[in-house]
Amino acid sequence: MEKQVNLKEMLKEKAQEVQSIVFEIGSLEEAFHYAIDITRKQGGTVLAAPGLGNQDASAFFAFQALCEEKGMSLLKEDLRAQVGRLHTGFTVADYGIAETATIVQDSSSEDLRIATMLSEIHVAVLPASCIVFDAVSLENEMKRFMDSPPNYLAFLSGASRTADIERVLTIGVHGPQELHILILAEDRA
Amino acid sequence: MITTPHDVKDYRAHLKKALKNQFLATTLDNFATAYRASRARAFENIDLEGLIQEIAEGKDASIPYLEELFALFKTRAENAGVKVHVARTATDANEIISSIAKANGVRKIVKGKSMTAEETFLNAHLEKEGYQVTETDLGEWIIQLRHEGPSHMVMPAIHLSRRQVAELFTEVTGKYQDPDDINGMVKVARRELRQAFLEADMGITGANFAIAETGTIALLTNEGNGRLVTTMPRVHVALVGFDKLIPDLKSALRVLHVLPRNATGQAISTYLTWITGANECTTGPAGRKEMHIVFLDNGRLALARDPVFSRALRCIRCGACANVCPIYKLVGGHNYGHVYIGAIGLILTYFYHGRENARAIVQNCLNCQACKSVCPTGIDLPHLIKEVYRTVLEAEGKKPIKNVLLSRALKDRRLFHFLLRRAYLAQQPLAGGEPLMRHLPMFLSKEHGFRSLPVLAKRPLRDIWDRINPRVQNPRYRVALFGGCLVDFVYPEQAEALLKVSKDYKVQFEYPMDQSCCGLPAKMMGENKTARELAVQNLQAMDPAAYDYVLTLCASCGSHLKKNYPGLLANDAGLQVKVQQLKDKVIDFSSFMQNVLQVSSEKFAGTYKKVAYHSPCHLCRGLQVTKEPRELMKTAGLDYVSAPDEDVCCGFGGSFSIDFPEISAELLKRKLDNVEATGAEALVTDCPGCVLQLRGGMDKRGAGKIEVMHIAELVADTLKK
Repeated sequence: MEKQVNLKEMLKEKAQEVQSIVFEIGSLEEAFHYAIDITRKQGGTVLAAPGLGNQDASAFFAFQALCEEKGMSLLKEDLRAQVGRLHTGFTVADYGIAETATIVQDSSSEDLRIATMLSEIHVAVLPASCIVFDAVSLENEMKRFMDSPPNYLAFLSGASRTADIERVLTIGVHGPQELHILILAEDRA
Repeated sequence: MITTPHDVKDYRAHLKKALKNQFLATTLDNFATAYRASRARAFENIDLEGLIQEIAEGKDASIPYLEELFALFKTRAENAGVKVHVARTATDANEIISSIAKANGVRKIVKGKSMTAEETFLNAHLEKEGYQVTETDLGEWIIQLRHEGPSHMVMPAIHLSRRQVAELFTEVTGKYQDPDDINGMVKVARRELRQAFLEADMGITGANFAIAETGTIALLTNEGNGRLVTTMPRVHVALVGFDKLIPDLKSALRVLHVLPRNATGQAISTYLTWITGANECTTGPAGRKEMHIVFLDNGRLALARDPVFSRALRCIRCGACANVCPIYKLVGGHNYGHVYIGAIGLILTYFYHGRENARAIVQNCLNCQACKSVCPTGIDLPHLIKEVYRTVLEAEGKKPIKNVLLSRALKDRRLFHFLLRRAYLAQQPLAGGEPLMRHLPMFLSKEHGFRSLPVLAKRPLRDIWDRINPRVQNPRYRVALFGGCLVDFVYPEQAEALLKVSKDYKVQFEYPMDQSCCGLPAKMMGENKTARELAVQNLQAMDPAAYDYVLTLCASCGSHLKKNYPGLLANDAGLQVKVQQLKDKVIDFSSFMQNVLQVSSEKFAGTYKKVAYHSPCHLCRGLQVTKEPRELMKTAGLDYVSAPDEDVCCGFGGSFSIDFPEISAELLKRKLDNVEATGAEALVTDCPGCVLQLRGGMDKRGAGKIEVMHIAELVADTLKK
């Protein structure tokens, strides 16, 4: 337990260094509200939660209902056609790596990739019990993904950035301009 | 688009021009300083030495088996729906990729950053075939629009100012771009390239790793363009050098510990993508990506079998060797490589882009060891650069005259020393009784006038030795002094200082008279046979078993004796014990004083003279000695004031300063500027070569402004009378 708390704290600390925004939440529903609020604050109207749709249909519908209440839409699939509208990508991460504040996301689904690549911001729920210390700790899990191809495994460690112009760090190049990590205290989403 | 001078004369013209570029000088200088700090921070609390060793061993174990690794990778990848190709040459690679484009009805292509694709000039080929190719990495897009090659392997547009980028974007978009709104310019790229991602039929990337056990390729980016290039288009082609093949995920994770940290000081790049097989792609055939991986040979498989050069395949393309190179810092990547930039570029250009392109650039190396000290896979880059130079000379069959003359002279010690004594007489008219020549001997041209040259000693050390070296009763230590050419024939006073400081410590010094040049100048010219012969001569002249220490006042000699003799004499079966004993016993002046004699501060008069320090390359990096000189100055009661870049090369590099005087002069200028800014009255160092350079340069600034001395001389001066 203590080790997990330390890992959580380490992830929060390291996340600051890469400009990721981290909050702790108590339930998935909190995450839904968070995503809706931040989207509205930023003037967006469309969210996408493709993975959620596949993992837990009832959770998806609950989220969708909340979105519609606030005048927003939640998309589930066929995102290729919706690329221009997407503001927020919402996912539940598979693992987190504390050492580098990394979100590990199985992204074999095209919709999941589009939601996390072409959105303006990415909100990722990370179950606290899934946080490990370093990438090496995930070696077996990674191998399992790679041993059942096809597989597209993503390590996301912050918002898209570059320093290509005069080495001045600029956030938000091709990927999402912000990465929000919501650490979920419960073991189950 | 990328052209590299084929001879030194032409190359020097380019270098001179680059040296005048103020923006480049400032930006690369700032970068070098920032990089040093960010790298140190990134590796805090990490056993880097241990990690490098593991990575080097891992790479050396797999390099001989690249073809087997490929076979395994191919099986796995093909089982996962990937089409795997082999391209023997750069042309093959380009044609395979364009035929994939043709077969799939491709018109528009987006590209992730790939040095391998730069190597084959893929874009040029595809554009000629009528495809529209858009680079998506911001730096690569910028240089694509400017029709330039990258000037760094990781930051391709580092040589450009914000103003240049703003002008470019204004032209491209038709709307004015504010040069100070860098965020705005980045957003231009975000908007413009978003369209390209959405419209492309094919995405081309490289790969940082190709993992054989799973058929996985891994890509690292910060921008996110790698993810988009591999997701939006229906075709994905990855162009991967054979040297990217590694056996397993474990190896990849190990390299990942160092790659982002060494490249940009980041713990990890923002996006790391592991792709196994042909993934879901709704616009692809049967809802899957049309996935191809093209493995490029272009000489890599032969390199893997080369006993000397196979180490070059350890390279993970972090770019650090350029980041710390004092010459790169002055002239930028377009003048320090061909396609590949930096120390590794000087080596790989010969193998991948031919002798003509390598011939001039490979000579532009000081052997300062900065690159070697940061290479995360432990490649001995300076050694390989000299070996490439030697190989070029052998291939061309005609040696430069200086190689012929030097080899001839060095091999015969008596002849060599005779010539030096004659040279003393010859230079008298130029010296006019002064210790420094301010007018150049005629074989040097006016570019060499940036420093005054020393006069040869009237009486070399070996002639006065018996007179100045006392016989010690019951000595505690027997120490052979290896003088080296400069101490023996130019600066015997440095040895006199050594004897003075060592008095009363019961040290019996000896000067084995058959010693000759250590041989470093020969190795630097690629004359390995001569270097080997000199090593044998020196070992015969002084038997390390007879002494407690072999002391050098010259860090270059010391480092060469210790680090290079083993390699040079590897095939001399009978000498291995002597070589090892020599390696164990070589010691530099400062370490001898501080660690062995443990000279007491009571012996010194406590003058508290303000002193600046220059750390010779061969001392701090060659011999890994950094704290002893500073401690010694403190012991001697000197007020040591630190200056920036103390361990950056002074620009001497032996014959380098003759071959590339402009570079040598600029490095010297920066060094002396830094020293002057400290307000020091004296400048000390542990190498007579550096003394030559620094004193010569200081003399040109106004004779005797700051006294430049060997640390032995100043320490001897501050002894109590």
